[in-house]
Amino acid sequence: MLNYVLQRLLGAALTLLIAAALVFGILLTIPGDPAQTVLGLDAAPEALARLRHQLGLDQPPLTRFAEWLSGALHGDLRQSIRYDAPVGELLGQRLGVSLPLIGLTLLFSSLLALWLGGAAARAAARPTGRGRDTLITTLAVLVSALPSFWVGLMLMLAFAVWLRWLPSGGFPGWQDPGRALLALTLPVLTLTLTRVAVLARMVRASLLDALGQDYVRTARAKGVPERRVLYRHALRNALIPIVTVLGVQFAELLTASVIVEVVFSLPGFGTLVLTAIEARDYPMVQGIVLVLSALVILANLLVDLSYAALDPRVSYG
Amino acid sequence: MLVLAAGGANAQSSADQPTRGGRLTVSVSAEPPMLDPTSSTSAEISRLLYDNVLQGLVKLGPDGKIEPSLASRYQVSADGKTYTFTLRPGVKFHDGSAFGTDDVVAALKRAMDPKSGHTHPEYYADMASVAASGPNTVVIKLARPNADFLFNLARADSVIMPAGKTDAMKSAPIGTGPFKFVSWQRGSAITLERNPAYYNKALPYLDAVTFRFISDPNAQLAALRSGDIDVIGYGLAPENALSLKQGGDFNVIVGNSTNKVTVSMNNGRAPFNDIRVRKAVQYAVDKNAILQGVMLGNGTVIGTHRTPVESCYYDLAGLYKPNPRLSRSLLQQAGYTAQKPLKITLTLPSQYDYAVRTGQAVAAQLNKVGIQTEIKLVDFSTWLKQVFQGGDYDMSVIGHAEPNDIGIYANKSYYFHYDSPQFRQQFDSYLRSTNRSAACLTMRALQKRLADDAVNVWVQELPYMAAMKNRVVGWWTDQPLPSLNVTQVYLRK
Repeated sequence: MLNYVLQRLLGAALTLLIAAALVFGILLTIPGDPAQTVLGLDAAPEALARLRHQLGLDQPPLTRFAEWLSGALHGDLRQSIRYDAPVGELLGQRLGVSLPLIGLTLLFSSLLALWLGGAAARAAARPTGRGRDTLITTLAVLVSALPSFWVGLMLMLAFAVWLRWLPSGGFPGWQDPGRALLALTLPVLTLTLTRVAVLARMVRASLLDALGQDYVRTARAKGVPERRVLYRHALRNALIPIVTVLGVQFAELLTASVIVEVVFSLPGFGTLVLTAIEARDYPMVQGIVLVLSALVILANLLVDLSYAALDPRVSYG
Repeated sequence: MLVLAAGGANAQSSADQPTRGGRLTVSVSAEPPMLDPTSSTSAEISRLLYDNVLQGLVKLGPDGKIEPSLASRYQVSADGKTYTFTLRPGVKFHDGSAFGTDDVVAALKRAMDPKSGHTHPEYYADMASVAASGPNTVVIKLARPNADFLFNLARADSVIMPAGKTDAMKSAPIGTGPFKFVSWQRGSAITLERNPAYYNKALPYLDAVTFRFISDPNAQLAALRSGDIDVIGYGLAPENALSLKQGGDFNVIVGNSTNKVTVSMNNGRAPFNDIRVRKAVQYAVDKNAILQGVMLGNGTVIGTHRTPVESCYYDLAGLYKPNPRLSRSLLQQAGYTAQKPLKITLTLPSQYDYAVRTGQAVAAQLNKVGIQTEIKLVDFSTWLKQVFQGGDYDMSVIGHAEPNDIGIYANKSYYFHYDSPQFRQQFDSYLRSTNRSAACLTMRALQKRLADDAVNVWVQELPYMAAMKNRVVGWWTDQPLPSLNVTQVYLRK
């Protein structure tokens, strides 16, 4: 087990290096001048040249990458060009918004998916339940087909403008956890609503698959109540593909949350990615890619490790 | 009768007595890249900090007139070469240090030094010297007269910050204004608080102001309606203005700005190095239709690179009336026919909605006279690199928001690539004039020349549009320079 984890971590380090180098290469090929973006339209050429020199943009690309890499190895992700603040610090602040947003979304959408998918699977397993199954499945697909910015705006109209229960956007910071959670409520709801269908359909398919297995027939023959058959016997086996999807969802949510962050003006990771790319904030983009890759790799590792926990037959020698 | 009238006036003034206190939350669509207006030309910096936090020797008032600020008085010599400023006594910076002649001298010396990193050293290029001539007096000597010099001193580029602390100003500006900078939560908000040591004890009325960054226009509207913000600071979408005008809870402002929405043509290369083609474009574009379609009728059609809120404005909006037939015949003269049509690319910065919408309308109108226009959407950084820096484009659309910036046409390497010795010579005679009314006449001639040369299509003055709760009083209606000036704003009880 330990060996396996170490192996994976080594692979991860290599992946990170390749990702960083790739992104650096891509950044070199797209047109743009971070100095001009920061200084604005009509800045004097001398001011531009001075800033470019300060930022080291007048150095050869390889030197720049080498310097960035040696800094990163020492835990120094450099200064953001756009924000004139340490990249690591900015990333930390933004992840402090995005990780809770994504975590809560995953939590609520899995709970909702288990409930909806379970109900659909149970209905589908009964000869008379087809209509109900179709209703649930169709509804889930319909909701997930709605664009998230629209869902976000509608929720905002309902809960912020008409009812005035929740703030319309912004983020007060974690100094006041209550208000921070209130600020995250509508964004989490938006993301949950628009993403739950994928999970629900997965849950339904896995459960249906499991319900057709011999051990379920045995359990039913022994007279185990249907609900218990579903959630105790079938679900445990059905969880492996679901956990896999959760891992993928996590990676997707890291980038997909950008729309919700824009609508609710949340200072999260997604909006940071946008500003960084727009401003050609090279160190910021590099830092983002590094952290993003690390998070995705970590999520996948956790998913793989959870297989062993879910299914005793899986083991990592 | 007389008594009644007097009583009425009294009642009016007591109802409008400014009240002190309260916090104001204002939404702005974009976050500034830094907070030092002398180190970046971004309009967002000036919007939040001009006169609120940072002040110069003189300033622009809400009507665009130059007023005293840190200098309580100033004098210009008859030859237009010596400016004498008397500084307001007893002024303190927000860090507690005293404001004095050395700060003014240091700030202006830095401004005129191209190597210092100041973004507009050309504004001060005519300065020969700046020095203190007494405890409260600063004298600036110009090598030659400059009709724009005082205006340049009123720009955000000329604010005075404490000497020797320049680099810290990028993220924590220290000024002398009625508000002091408190915090910048990146990606989220900037907060200012009342400066208790402000030299004008009556100001400001508010205790604090928070500028929140909300980029989505619908989210801005929802935030205003839900009470989370008090003001949509600028860039209110015209369709949202319509809905806010109903109900009477909100006050919608449609004012003048210095933003010239410009359909630029690359005068430096074919096909736009041919004035017949440029004129064909002028006659093909229906500005009123664009104004209606893009801004729902808000704004003012203009005909040259100046807006009504800038001094010596010349209304040339009617110079090229839409005339497709004339447009086609000009194209034909230039050698473009139905068999061999003119094909051009219109590069649009996708970040700016008004530019994209204007561009789409222009493309449709050009296609009608046979100019095959292909739209290319690029992100703003690409636009800056390719169009603005590289000059590699046929046609583009952007708003030139800088006030009093007609001088860009005297620079032939500017991205329009307009190369007119006559314009340059005339612009120089404008700059060197010491007589205000003569200067104004020349300024009008400059505008006329640009329009006659059909350099660009100036579609409209992008209106300044904002909305606020009814109880917010004292907001500037016009924007003679980008500034969300809250120094005299108060909340009606």
